[in-house]
Amino acid sequence: MSDTASPLSPRPPSTAPVPAPRRPGNPFLAAALAWLFPGLGHAYLKRPKTALIYAVIVSATFLLGLSFEGRLYSPEPGQPLTILATFAVYGAGLLNIAVRLLSANPNGTILSVTYEYGCAFLLTAGLMNLLLMLDAYDIAVGRKR
Amino acid sequence: MTTLASVLPADHFLIMTVYALLISLFFALLWRSGRRERVALFIKLFLALVVGALAVAWLMYPFPS
Repeated sequence: MSDTASPLSPRPPSTAPVPAPRRPGNPFLAAALAWLFPGLGHAYLKRPKTALIYAVIVSATFLLGLSFEGRLYSPEPGQPLTILATFAVYGAGLLNIAVRLLSANPNGTILSVTYEYGCAFLLTAGLMNLLLMLDAYDIAVGRKR
Repeated sequence: MTTLASVLPADHFLIMTVYALLISLFFALLWRSGRRERVALFIKLFLALVVGALAVAWLMYPFPS
């Protein structure tokens, strides 16, 4: 028998340490930035194109909601579902906070024909941004490419 | 403040289509990575939302408003 290892023979165990996969960024910072403004977390993770597209989609959804005279929810006593709605709307980060501070009508116009649509758009924008936070976190920890 | 609500007619189908467009675009980007996969998911989601809403509306038509 020759001493040369055949292709079928088992390889000797490698003693070299396996390098840990390099993280593209701090996951908590990525999630926090993603909350602040849509797409900012992805920009931090060096994905500027994706960040720009997400920023356009989520901001457009939010601004359409405002334009349709939807409501930026706040918790109301006796209305437990408004707590969930508030959580969703606050997902939009600085967009939500800036509009609450600057807008003359953050509660929307309930008599407007498009009020319900506006609420749906605003809630959706906030929920989208919450998903972007989780996405940025997953990318930062290497769970998603 | 001039809003879209005051400028545009309240076209329910148009608003629903814009909503479906934004949702489909967002989830196609979030859930798929390749270009072809993203386009395929976008079309599936968009059609599911628009056609599904029309189907539900059609089924509800006989009910009194």
